[in-house]
Amino acid sequence: MRESLIPTPGPERARQTEAAPAVVLDGLSKSFPTRRGWLETIRHPLGTQYQRVLQGVSCEVREGEFFGLLGPNGAGKTTLFKILATLVLPDSGTATITGLDVVQDARQVRRVLAPVIADERSLYWRLSARENLELYGVLQGLDRRAARSRAGQLLEVVELDDTGSKLAGSFSSGMKQRLLIARALIASPRVLLLDEPTRSLDPVSARRFRAFLREEIIGRQKCTVLLATHNAEEALDLCDRVAVLNRGELLAAGTAQSIASEMGNDRYRLWTSEPRHPGIAALAERGVVESVAEVESDAPGWAVVEMDIPGGLERAAQVVAFLTEQGARIARFEYVELSLADLIERVVEQRGGQGRGEEQEKRGGMSMEPVIDGGNADA
Amino acid sequence: MREVFALVRASFRTALSYRLSMVLSLGSLLFTVVPLFFVARALQPTMAKSISTEGGVYFAFLLVGMIAYTYISVAVNAIPNVVSSGVGTGTLEALLATRAPLPSLLLGLTGYNLLWTTVRAVVLLIAGMFFGIHLAWSQIGGAFVVLVLIVLAYLPFGLIGAALMLAFRTSGPLASVVLILSGLLGGVYYPTSVIPKGIQELSAAVPLTYGLRALRRTLLEGMPFSAVAPDVITLIGFVVLLTAIGLLALTEALHYARRAGTLAQY
Repeated sequence: MRESLIPTPGPERARQTEAAPAVVLDGLSKSFPTRRGWLETIRHPLGTQYQRVLQGVSCEVREGEFFGLLGPNGAGKTTLFKILATLVLPDSGTATITGLDVVQDARQVRRVLAPVIADERSLYWRLSARENLELYGVLQGLDRRAARSRAGQLLEVVELDDTGSKLAGSFSSGMKQRLLIARALIASPRVLLLDEPTRSLDPVSARRFRAFLREEIIGRQKCTVLLATHNAEEALDLCDRVAVLNRGELLAAGTAQSIASEMGNDRYRLWTSEPRHPGIAALAERGVVESVAEVESDAPGWAVVEMDIPGGLERAAQVVAFLTEQGARIARFEYVELSLADLIERVVEQRGGQGRGEEQEKRGGMSMEPVIDGGNADA
Repeated sequence: MREVFALVRASFRTALSYRLSMVLSLGSLLFTVVPLFFVARALQPTMAKSISTEGGVYFAFLLVGMIAYTYISVAVNAIPNVVSSGVGTGTLEALLATRAPLPSLLLGLTGYNLLWTTVRAVVLLIAGMFFGIHLAWSQIGGAFVVLVLIVLAYLPFGLIGAALMLAFRTSGPLASVVLILSGLLGGVYYPTSVIPKGIQELSAAVPLTYGLRALRRTLLEGMPFSAVAPDVITLIGFVVLLTAIGLLALTEALHYARRAGTLAQY
């Protein structure tokens, strides 16, 4: 059965699944005040402009799930994570972590959830890796002996046991990233938030780091993980399900396959010697085929044309028949599987236009100029 | 308290990694004490009468004033500084995401500075004794309590500074104004009795006025704690009032920062 791309509200989804919900978001919205120019401030000293960063976000993540949150910069991923980590208060809606409300039960939420949202500067660079972990162990409620023992275990887990006594400031970005993960794991959290954990890593280190996440965090620690990333391949590599967030709206959620089957099963590739055949132009003009583009071909004398043919296999067969009838020379016709990145682009294109007029809110009795990108949403 | 000790220890380990700076911080005290001694000796005949109830020796008077002033500088600046650097680096956000309560975090983050100031104060006093200062050892406990009250009376300005830092990204001139006024009107370099009449009333609004007078009388005069009770009670009044204002300001600012999403934005 197809999974709907429209995110279903938490309670309804909970009934559909066996595992208990670990994270439930229900209508979560957040706006931030925007910085105003001098002139605007003088004109309306008491008025405040707000930038909507999250808009009615609802979804659910089950225990033990690796859930990817995809979206471009400014989509609201980091803000969402900060709300879950009790560092930012939502304007409306609710978010619960293992049944605990992030606003009402903030202190208890911090016992079960660990964010990795700050960058490597948030480590104590003049302390060793071990000292960093021991400090956070104590801050997370362990006694000093337990913190020391747990720090030792985690240094092994993140493969920093050889360098545990070295200053954190002397580490490479990859090592610091692993240390941040170890710091988050120190109190054995049930939910882990990872905000673009490979952003500062080179491709080889990023691949190694993903392998570490797969084996350790998913395989051994059994954490529920929310991964915010704008790297679609990373999400595909690690996540059970993904959600697409754009301009604060959750546009789609589901497995990569379900999104693909709903959004991306209409791309075809045509090998022809006449890429500008009038038959193709006629189909495009009538709207039967869309997004027609010639792509590079390595077969001399033959061109490759990519096109979207909405309407399923029946319509694709009709297109081929029509072109053949029109005398187009076709050597090959095949279905193209879209990458997740293409799918996301498509989701954003198709669903991202909704509610654009509601981006701005009017507060403080003044008219608003449209502000598009969230300044501090993904700071 | 475990969290407080862990943070103090972390600050100590961090400071220890800058060994030269640590040594210089102590060594520079000698360069403070020596000229102070000669200036005080030169001014002793002029000042003797006006400081007769606060030890009578101008060098000791100045040294105690400077020690107290160092403490209040730390009390006023430490919290805004750690908040400022913590916001900039993301450390504050990381700390606030732990289960440690906010008072423990603040105390832990500033505790090392206060302890290090105590080490420096002890070095200053030892140097002072080398230059002939006599301390009333029998009243050292009372003097310590007064010193703690002085720090507690000024820590709320640090809380307000941190609140301003969270809300506006700067604490503005708050620390400078508090420290300059306390230095001028609180009796650090001269007794408040020599301040011209019109301005002298203002010194009554400065916590350091009461703290320093009580501190000098116990530590230098050897007066019992009961003899400085009026000053101590006034100081406690300042502590209660200012702490309430400081905590309210910080709580509101933290709430604002959580609403505005500016905990890690500088």
